[in-house]
Amino acid sequence: MDLRFTETQEILKKMARDFLTTECPKTLVRKLEQSEKGYSPELWKKMAELGWMGLIIPEEYGGMGYTFQDLVVLLEEIGRNILQGPLIATITSIFPILKAGTEEQKKELLPKIAQGELILTTALLEGDGVFDASGIAVKATPKGNDFIINGTKLFVEMAHVANHILCVTRTKDGTSPEKGITLFIVDSKTPGISCEVMPTTAADKLCEVRFKNVNVPKKNILGKIDEGWPIVEMMLRKGAIAKCAESIGAIETCVEMTVAYSKERVQYERSIGSFQALQHKMADMWMAMETSRYLVYEVAWMESEGLPCAKEASMAKAYVNEVYKNISKWAVRLHGAIATSADHDIPLYYRRSKAADIAFGNTDFHREIVAQKMGLV
Amino acid sequence: MDLSLTDEQKVRKQEFYDVCKELEKRKPPSFTGFETIYEDDESWKYNLYCAKEFAKRGWLALGWPPEYEGKGDMMDRVLFAEARGYYGIPGVDIFGVQMLAPTLLQAASEEIKRAFLPPIAHGEVMWCELWSEPNAGSDLASLSTTAIKKGDEYIINGQKTWNTGAHRADWGFGVFKTDPAAKKHHNMTFILHDMKTPGITVRPIPYLDGHAPYCEVYFDDVHVPAKNIVGQEHEGWAVVNLLAGFERSGISEIMSMIRGLEQLVTFCNETKRHGQPLAKNPLVRNRLAELACDLEAARALAYRVADLQNRNEMSLMDASAGKIFFSELGERFAFVATDILGPYGQVKTSRWAPLGGVWEKMFHEHFITTVSMGTNEIQRNIIAWYGLGLPRIR
Repeated sequence: MDLRFTETQEILKKMARDFLTTECPKTLVRKLEQSEKGYSPELWKKMAELGWMGLIIPEEYGGMGYTFQDLVVLLEEIGRNILQGPLIATITSIFPILKAGTEEQKKELLPKIAQGELILTTALLEGDGVFDASGIAVKATPKGNDFIINGTKLFVEMAHVANHILCVTRTKDGTSPEKGITLFIVDSKTPGISCEVMPTTAADKLCEVRFKNVNVPKKNILGKIDEGWPIVEMMLRKGAIAKCAESIGAIETCVEMTVAYSKERVQYERSIGSFQALQHKMADMWMAMETSRYLVYEVAWMESEGLPCAKEASMAKAYVNEVYKNISKWAVRLHGAIATSADHDIPLYYRRSKAADIAFGNTDFHREIVAQKMGLV
Repeated sequence: MDLSLTDEQKVRKQEFYDVCKELEKRKPPSFTGFETIYEDDESWKYNLYCAKEFAKRGWLALGWPPEYEGKGDMMDRVLFAEARGYYGIPGVDIFGVQMLAPTLLQAASEEIKRAFLPPIAHGEVMWCELWSEPNAGSDLASLSTTAIKKGDEYIINGQKTWNTGAHRADWGFGVFKTDPAAKKHHNMTFILHDMKTPGITVRPIPYLDGHAPYCEVYFDDVHVPAKNIVGQEHEGWAVVNLLAGFERSGISEIMSMIRGLEQLVTFCNETKRHGQPLAKNPLVRNRLAELACDLEAARALAYRVADLQNRNEMSLMDASAGKIFFSELGERFAFVATDILGPYGQVKTSRWAPLGGVWEKMFHEHFITTVSMGTNEIQRNIIAWYGLGLPRIR
């Protein structure tokens, strides 16, 4: 047992921190939130040069061939700076392709993703807003060599700038909701697709994507027809861990900023950080950060080693969801009025905590998975 | 990052689990948790029996240097603690094995080490801690019990309190004011003494559930050999801080809760309420799952503390965080479990009590971990002052 980062991970961490400190100031984060695209194509190109989009893509497909654990180290740094953009959407869409893609699909997509030429996203949620298979109603019906997709997806991250959308569809009404689910790789320029950005708490460009008689060739099926749900589960699991990693970085920043501010801010002729009412709250924030961090590292290690970790991944997501919301809330509270201003950086984190909570399943969703996995009938 | 165990560690872990599983079969019904060893004669006997079983395998000296009969490494100690926690097996003296022994190894003279380590390793001598006083709790350094040197002896006078298991212990380690004229923090000495020394009176204090896990101890002209000290004379405060750093990672307590949760899951699956298993109640599911998440987080932090200890990079704030987290999780757990048991959550060990009455017991016992070993509020000060570098008002 050794909980330290490897040398490669230390280098990756330092490189990412240096890069983001210079290239991604909060002024840019704010600008991107307001912008139509929601990301910076110039920055995206530079990130591709650093190999970030291709980090977990094997070398034979033009990637870096790093492990899932390494990815977690990178995402933690991304989370520190709350970099806005389609990185998580793209990376989480890589997992299904790696797992279930044909050789042709991999060769066509992965090198371009690694080069930063393609942005991907996954369309899962619909009107019900649930993360289980019962929410999938968008239909794909066979017609010759094609499938025709009809219906509306919601909360699709960065769909407005994505080149390809992995669309989770219902191809058959089976005996259980999990049966009859099929994934398609859909070119976002296909006629019949329309997209609208939804106004959200974190201004993170979640979209409504409407499919109206959209023709998708059969060869664009990802994995086996009607048997796509296990791929979605895998993506949700890895995505949940990835989101946790990003949250850890954000949590860390909230704690650091709050501690630093409490040492500077003087009231009653002394720094407010000398008052125990605040000290104990900050000790609790730090403790919650540490427990989250090592829980996420443990799960990332399991995932990286290919060990079964559905229960542990859900434990981590359920746990970190609550920690992030609470720590960023307390960061606002301890800063006082100043952090309720839109110009302050802390609210950026507070707003993102809600988005992080929902992405890949909220707390109750994951607690129910834990309940099942721990053997409750 | 690598959380895997080596093949050798896996074998030893299995051995720890196997032996503890066997010992579990000998538990007396009155043993319902670690603290009951101090409260109940049968449980104390069981504790001594387990200690002997562990001692003959060399497991009370895990991680010690070989010249003091040590065996294995720190990681073995963690794995052993896991197994004991999971099966709820006593036999490892918190005070002798877990606190005093590592302190002696680091701070005591060769003579003291040779005299006191073997009886600890052999499970022969049980210890208690004599620190707190009626007017020196969290502010321990303001203690007033004196040990005045006279020839080759110290003569101790005063009173200690909240001494867990003092009525059972053979020996005690305490801090006493040896230089009343000197400045705070440089006026006390860490002294070892036989609890049977004339002049010592031990009075058990009834705990809030009516049992007596701890005592108050009176010293009336108690003569102790002057050589029985650890560290420098008058510099006992440094030894106190050293010992406090050897706090448990909490892994035993966490494993014990993990077992408790497994038993609760079985109970909820097998117990019908409103015509269906209690496990079907969404509120029960959500609350148990939340505890499971917290437990996994606690375990991850305990491994972090253990990993740091293994590499001699002990971080005071991580140890404090671990202590706060597992002890307050114990509180939450006791509340949730006794809630789920409904009216049966109030029944003491008896034929009516589900799961042997352990949760009714835990409803009282959790204070022992939140309040002792430095209250959780003191632990938060440690994180704030020494970890986060926040200013301290003096």
